[in-house]
Amino acid sequence: MTIGKIFANIVNWMKDNLDFIFTPIKFLIDYSVDGIVLVLSLIPGLLLLLLITALANYLSGRKVAIFTFIGLFTINFMGYWDQMVLTLSMVMVSTIIAVIVGIPVGIYSARHERVDSAVRPILDLMQTLPAYVYLIPAVLFFQLGTVPGVFATIIFSMPPAVRLTNLGIRQVPGDVVEAAESFGTTSKQLLFKVQLPLAKPTIMAGLNQTIMLALSMVVISAMIGAKGLGLEVYNSITQLKIGQGFESGISIVILAMVLDRITHALGTNEN
Amino acid sequence: MMKSHLIKKMFAVVLVAAVVLVAGCEGEKKEVNLGVVNWAEGIAMTNLAKVILEDEMDYDVEVTTADVGPIFQDVVGGGTDAFMDTWLPVTHKSYMDQHSDNVEVLGTNFEGAKIGLVVPKYVYDAGITSIADLNANADKFDGEIIGIDSGAGIMATTETAMTADNYDITDLELMASSGPAMTATLGDKIDNEEFVVVTGWNPHWKFAKWELKFLDDPKGIYGDAEVIKTVARKGLKDDMPEVAEFLANFEMDIAELGDLMGAIADAGDDKTPEDVAREWKNNHMDLVNSWLPETK
Repeated sequence: MTIGKIFANIVNWMKDNLDFIFTPIKFLIDYSVDGIVLVLSLIPGLLLLLLITALANYLSGRKVAIFTFIGLFTINFMGYWDQMVLTLSMVMVSTIIAVIVGIPVGIYSARHERVDSAVRPILDLMQTLPAYVYLIPAVLFFQLGTVPGVFATIIFSMPPAVRLTNLGIRQVPGDVVEAAESFGTTSKQLLFKVQLPLAKPTIMAGLNQTIMLALSMVVISAMIGAKGLGLEVYNSITQLKIGQGFESGISIVILAMVLDRITHALGTNEN
Repeated sequence: MMKSHLIKKMFAVVLVAAVVLVAGCEGEKKEVNLGVVNWAEGIAMTNLAKVILEDEMDYDVEVTTADVGPIFQDVVGGGTDAFMDTWLPVTHKSYMDQHSDNVEVLGTNFEGAKIGLVVPKYVYDAGITSIADLNANADKFDGEIIGIDSGAGIMATTETAMTADNYDITDLELMASSGPAMTATLGDKIDNEEFVVVTGWNPHWKFAKWELKFLDDPKGIYGDAEVIKTVARKGLKDDMPEVAEFLANFEMDIAELGDLMGAIADAGDDKTPEDVAREWKNNHMDLVNSWLPETK
């Protein structure tokens, strides 16, 4: 009980004193999502569909492109295009932020044992603490809507980016690092010219997992006011509309598979 | 390092878009934020309030759907201006106990709402008409009362009802689940004509879909009737007195609310609740005008 009280007090203190941090974060997330939605909705649906298909074709080949076209066309056909665009935007923003924070932390923990042992329990916490526990504080800091949803998504989806970056760099063979060092590379050169390129497939696998986890949070985000496909699912389950629940749920699956197949190629293609 | 270029480009796009948005947003109408839980009566009342605020009072209204806990939190925090679906004195008592200093109750939207234990009509007709009859017939119900989310007010009230001081229900267990799981179980049991008892409330669409009865509550644990009130953030009365006055005036009776809820349910996927509420508003302008602030 006292531990719970300490947590509650910390949350209240943060609410009262750290507004100068939360407000810019709120605006950054809010405008990023709105901005991407705006750009994506300026493009007519069919053209956007073709653009994403072309991207899939370019990055992952014809098979994935065909799947992408059929999948996204199905979402459009079922009438969930606008919701899909919003969900996609939220996933993009949370993934970008998770990666911008996650990859440097992963690099840092790969190179310093002490950082690693400090970061690891935090990652455990982020992945296993039930989302509801920090959803209410998130509402307190960011108000209802897209922002606390994206915030919760970032918390939940960042760990793979950190873990797999860390793993990827640690997996670079010791003799390669030794060889590089014996030629006199600086620490910076070692990182950018040796470790990161060799770790790239693993890091990209981390990115891929981050996107997948982000998509798994969209329904939970709907409980704190985020819109998009998650809200369609949430609305249909709370009113037992089985058909609508299936359509919006399967739209999330299609979006997940498309993003998975496209980003999967990023790790393997260019090597 | 192709990816970092991509990210840079993305950010550039985002920033440009943000600037466009900020520029576009200035000098707009005043915005009202309403929170709504996905409950049929709340959807009906909130969408009606939205179209009235927009069409008759010239405000922009943003309706945000979320769970009841987060919405209360946001009314306390000031992000949500009002929540029109607060059940008192019993159901949402725990929220009001916690936050009564930080929110303002504007008025009553609906009187005669009810919570209690609900059974299908065939159970009631079979002679189980009161909560006092439950314990003796526990085996017919598989020893279960199907509940909803463990934090819901109705769950705490049901636990109170089950204690030795009240109905002394020892052979049934109150199962926590969720609103949808409760209605799914109810529907399944009704399809198979099996006995079932759930924690229920009205107005709710389940009463339109199935023939249901409240079990009698001779000890009055669940209260006689509940009222649905609008709870607003502190300060709304000062910032937007018109809106506060309108929300305070807003009140529907069971016939009006039932009519609107029915119209929304019947429209199905063809029209949004907002479209239906707008039509309903246009057909009931006398009622709507009686809610509008005097100053208008």
